[in-house]
Amino acid sequence: METMAILFLGVLAIATAFLVIFSKNTVHSALWMVGNCFVLAVLFLMLNSQFIAILQVIVYAGAIMMFILYAIMMLNLRREQDEGDPRKNLVTGRILLVLLFFTGLVIMGVGFSPIALKGRMASQAVAQFGEVNLIADYIFSEGLIPFELVSVLLTAAVVGAVYIAKKN
Amino acid sequence: MIDFFIIPVVKLTIIFSICLFLIAYATWLERKVLGHIQLRYGPMRVGWHGLLQPIADGVKNFFKEDVVPDNADKAVFVIAPVISISAAIILLAVIPFGEPIHMFGKEITLYIANPSIGILFILGFATLGSYGTILGGWSSGNKYGYMGGLRASAMIISYELSMAFAVISVVMMSGSFSLVDIVTDQETIWNCLRQPVAFLVFLISGTAELNRTPFDMPEAESELCCGYNVEYSSMKFALFFLAEYTHMFVFGALVTTLFLGGWHGPWLPGVVWFFIKTFLIVFACIWVRATFPRLRYDKVMKLEWKFLLPVAVLNLVATGGVMLFFI
Repeated sequence: METMAILFLGVLAIATAFLVIFSKNTVHSALWMVGNCFVLAVLFLMLNSQFIAILQVIVYAGAIMMFILYAIMMLNLRREQDEGDPRKNLVTGRILLVLLFFTGLVIMGVGFSPIALKGRMASQAVAQFGEVNLIADYIFSEGLIPFELVSVLLTAAVVGAVYIAKKN
Repeated sequence: MIDFFIIPVVKLTIIFSICLFLIAYATWLERKVLGHIQLRYGPMRVGWHGLLQPIADGVKNFFKEDVVPDNADKAVFVIAPVISISAAIILLAVIPFGEPIHMFGKEITLYIANPSIGILFILGFATLGSYGTILGGWSSGNKYGYMGGLRASAMIISYELSMAFAVISVVMMSGSFSLVDIVTDQETIWNCLRQPVAFLVFLISGTAELNRTPFDMPEAESELCCGYNVEYSSMKFALFFLAEYTHMFVFGALVTTLFLGGWHGPWLPGVVWFFIKTFLIVFACIWVRATFPRLRYDKVMKLEWKFLLPVAVLNLVATGGVMLFFI
């Protein structure tokens, strides 16, 4: 039952990912991307990680895709532009398709492997401590230095982005 | 079988039908209260003091012609109101309406689900609901709708921040994301007394997230002739409308849960207290609409980025400091 559900979700995830690339309308692509984020969130739920699932929804489907959509709508890319030789696009598309298919297979393989279900986030541990506490505990004790480094990096990126935007 | 299927289904049916009934009557309440504040009667014709007006409106919307503009992106145009309403209604699932009751020898909880990430669930899906607004505006192929959609996304991106910061200070006090835990934590003292700044910030940014006056930028009638839903008619328009009032109801319920002690209160049963508090918040929303004029767009943005957000962050730091040194 669970295997079937995960398989179905995997197929859905790959299908929505394909649609992101093959939609001719930019806004439709962005919408399929939102759908893809959603399917991934459900996959996280199946793996017993409510917190990661809702973060996937809030951060990716909510915030980031909202920004992307906002940018697309601001630039008003309503009609798709004709770019280059369609045959060339088709070949690139097919190569991408095959690549993506194998990436999906690898991801699903890792997901199914018993290794993935034995780490800190194994369902028994989650049931005992509650997931948010477990993640917070890890981030603010063992993972403190990488966590702080990442936040410094992100702040630097934001400042850099503001600087570049100001110059124009 | 009974625990996993029948009780949840019965609960779903009861909670959703009561809530949707109340939401339909929120439209009546709004028109009536606005009317009386402006020295008019409001709806009077259908039923006693217009009490059947929501039903008449529903029937009317159902039988109106459903127009899809030639210029529209058809698929997105159809799906936008659906996104709006489903993201709004799903929020009702995690709201705790009252303390558990005992019936037929079983303990029945008065919420549909109590995930450990309850409040994050609400924040996440409230944002997703705004996709409906934005896509509805964009897909109609109308410049007013388009402007309304853009304004909606800008508003939601900005006001979400201060709202989330206000919520985080409450979560710090109760030490849990679960709404039920947050309510049980307020048994002795309500969060609006422990966190007055967060309470005010949440009220203001919540009103802004609801797109209601004085923050109704996406649908400013005098500037955008109704904004994002200008091309919508019939049931599609009704769905947008219903989503808006569902959000208002959920906002009332959320303020009650986070700051006004949820179902706690003397003498009356918990559920009654919950609905009284929610009603008061919804009434306050309508009152604000009748009292304040619409803000100018740049002032709305200034209020968020130069006032609410710094205040919310400072409040968060202060909460952390107090908890570190005194508790």
